[in-house]
Amino acid sequence: MTSSTATSVMTGAKAPAARPRSLMAIVLRDTVSQLGARLAVAWIGLLILGAVFGPFIANSFPLIARVDGRWESPMWRYLVPTDVVLLVVFIATIILCGVRQMTVPVKVGIVIWLLALVIPLALWAVLARDLSWYRHEYGTGLVVISLGVAFGLDLAVLVLVPLKLPLSSRQWTILGLFAAALTGILVLHPVKPPTTIIYDQYRELGRAGRMQFSLPAPVPYSPTDRLRDQPDAQLLAPDTRHWMGTEINGADVFSRMIHASRVALAIGFIATGIAIVAGCAVGGVMGYFSGRVDMLGMRLLEIFEAIPTLFLLISCVAFFGRSLYLVMVIIGLTSWSGYARFVRAEFLRLRNQDFVLAAIAAGLPLRSVLFRHMLPNGLVPVLVSASFGVASAILSESVLSFLGLGLIDEPSWGDLLNQATGQGGTFTWWLAVFPGLAIFLTVFSYNLIGEALRDALDPKLRDGASD
Amino acid sequence: MEPSAQPILDVRNLSVAFNSGPRQITPVRDVSFSIYPGQTVALVGESGCGKSVTALSILRLIPSPPGRVVQGTVGFGGRDLLSLPEPEMRGVRGGKIAMIFQEPMTSLNPVYSIGEQIAEAIVLHQRVKTAQAYEIAEQALRDVGIADPARRLQEYPHVLSGGMRQRVMIAMALSCRPQLLIADEPTTALDVTIQAQILELLRKLQRETGMAILLITHDLGVVAENADVVNVMYASRIVESAAVEDLFDRPMHPYTAGLFRSVPKLGARAERLAAIPGTVPNPAQFPGGCKFHPRCARARELAARAAAEATTEIMSDGESFRVPRRCASEEPLLREMEPRHWAACHQVAGYDEKPPTEPRIEHKRASVVQVDGEVTA
Repeated sequence: MTSSTATSVMTGAKAPAARPRSLMAIVLRDTVSQLGARLAVAWIGLLILGAVFGPFIANSFPLIARVDGRWESPMWRYLVPTDVVLLVVFIATIILCGVRQMTVPVKVGIVIWLLALVIPLALWAVLARDLSWYRHEYGTGLVVISLGVAFGLDLAVLVLVPLKLPLSSRQWTILGLFAAALTGILVLHPVKPPTTIIYDQYRELGRAGRMQFSLPAPVPYSPTDRLRDQPDAQLLAPDTRHWMGTEINGADVFSRMIHASRVALAIGFIATGIAIVAGCAVGGVMGYFSGRVDMLGMRLLEIFEAIPTLFLLISCVAFFGRSLYLVMVIIGLTSWSGYARFVRAEFLRLRNQDFVLAAIAAGLPLRSVLFRHMLPNGLVPVLVSASFGVASAILSESVLSFLGLGLIDEPSWGDLLNQATGQGGTFTWWLAVFPGLAIFLTVFSYNLIGEALRDALDPKLRDGASD
Repeated sequence: MEPSAQPILDVRNLSVAFNSGPRQITPVRDVSFSIYPGQTVALVGESGCGKSVTALSILRLIPSPPGRVVQGTVGFGGRDLLSLPEPEMRGVRGGKIAMIFQEPMTSLNPVYSIGEQIAEAIVLHQRVKTAQAYEIAEQALRDVGIADPARRLQEYPHVLSGGMRQRVMIAMALSCRPQLLIADEPTTALDVTIQAQILELLRKLQRETGMAILLITHDLGVVAENADVVNVMYASRIVESAAVEDLFDRPMHPYTAGLFRSVPKLGARAERLAAIPGTVPNPAQFPGGCKFHPRCARARELAARAAAEATTEIMSDGESFRVPRRCASEEPLLREMEPRHWAACHQVAGYDEKPPTEPRIEHKRASVVQVDGEVTA
């Protein structure tokens, strides 16, 4: 490695031969050095690729086409804001992974800043178009307030995050140019998918001979393309055209599988993320202050543990209607108690550790002691159980979809599984095997990663790194 | 060094209590001592005598609950640290009073590099930019004798040895130029050669910066080589407080005398090492009167000589013994038996003539003291 590290850039010192490895880096390396964990990471990686590049892989619209002598990219035109945001964040993350001069928190900060920049830019055209509909539906006041709050928060992130990022002027320039280019592209070519989507459109054009050239996506069917131009497209068995057959409404199963990975990943990560944040906050306070606070916190945990998640989910879906975000929030808010217990136990142990005492004795404020010095050391069992938590969140969503309470029209593995058994007692094997396998592999992968993480952390703890 | 009139730290009548189940135990009772600028004051005693709790309560670091200071003041710079608001207290901790701990292996946070840990405190107390803080941290590492400090700053604690980590801890503690360093058994966990290096380093840094040191230890050798003033603690109280030469020359309290007898001497032939009989009492059940009387050889000897003045006591294991009635009923307080020499024992000659006072010893050694009591120039 020839480039100097972040701190030596700051001190102007000579670059060391090799950057010393942090404990976390060693643990991470040990985790992925196990074969099972590698396969699991590969599978999750595939899912991430499917989630980000879904519209590129499975799309009824050609990637590039020449219609009536004009070149165009129908696929780009039909991209929705979510697709664009995911794409930008994915590319930025890949670039940042290659940068070695920054610490991980700085990279996370940059990604958060880019998110704050890209989301409003990708959303504004769609929002502007649908504004009158929202005002009609929710009332002007509510729309103005919620937009104002969202915009204010976004602006705060955009302004405050750069103040905290210790970047060199060269890094600032590169980031600034990237952001400016992104802004330029998204303002000049706003993300504005047509409101009415006619999937047959380009197939008709092809049949009419008006398309001189077309480069179709590898799977030339969108997940919600019901193949209305093709008679009897429902429940076709797998063949060369539909690799995994079609489902009950005639949509291509493989395409739905690919696009469903977005839902599967999102539900796992966001629900678990909510649970971890809530669990760390409550558990940390309980463990650090102990005594009466701990006693009250424990009772709160017991109350939350007494809530049957699945029944709450079913009643909420019945009451508020079907929403992916609602499901995420409910799963998150009912599963944090386990993390809180872990964090509490860790904090009770860490509270008596010398380095925590040393941090307090160095005059560091409570915020720093709790979240900078104690939390990263107490996060270990949380991370292990989080990988199992992600798996169980995916299962919860699948169960909900299987019960027919999942998302409407959004592709989901559980929803496909649900269609495997028809009303007439029929059993469609391809609707059971493929989504079932995907759920199984994903849950299994998270469990493997959790196991590997636990194995990697164990010897480190024994070697006295923190004990 | 010319002694100044004002002590930098003035602990008066400090008592600390812990709630332990239904009972309340008091591991520190009526402790008073002073530290003058540039002085090294030792707090000596067995495990569990309350010396670490005393040190922690100076910085208000005892876990609360269950612990709390029930009485006393800790004067520092004209203010009572015990009644200071928390934000100001944070400025004192690390900034004006720094502390190093017994276990260098666990005193550094395993998830941050050395540089990040030192720089965080520097940024906080000296209000400098991160880049400057790293420069100060690098200099601090150089000051404690760490080779290639720029590279060490980027390393993580798990690659460093125990002695190295203790050096880092000292560098971290001293990077903000504190007026007082509290060293809680700084060398106990280190092997002997490293111990000597660390103590030599502390002496050197003290000469350079003029800071005061509160040295907490159970090692009389460490005391003899480093301390100016020694406070001997036994079962929650200071039982003897004296300038180091006087203490090693003429220990007055039988406990102190017993400690000296139990130190092995080079060249002396002995079948067994002399030991103080019995064990340190549990803070939950301290004996009445003088807390040392059940183990005190002098008390038994005197009781044997003057039987009329004595009383019989039965220990928990059934053994009975006789001690002077006064030792068993009345708690002795510190009295200035000689200039710069306080002791708390009824049986020291002339104890009754002196009034009980709180020790303040402004003394700076000029010599090396040896454990067997001889003072050499």
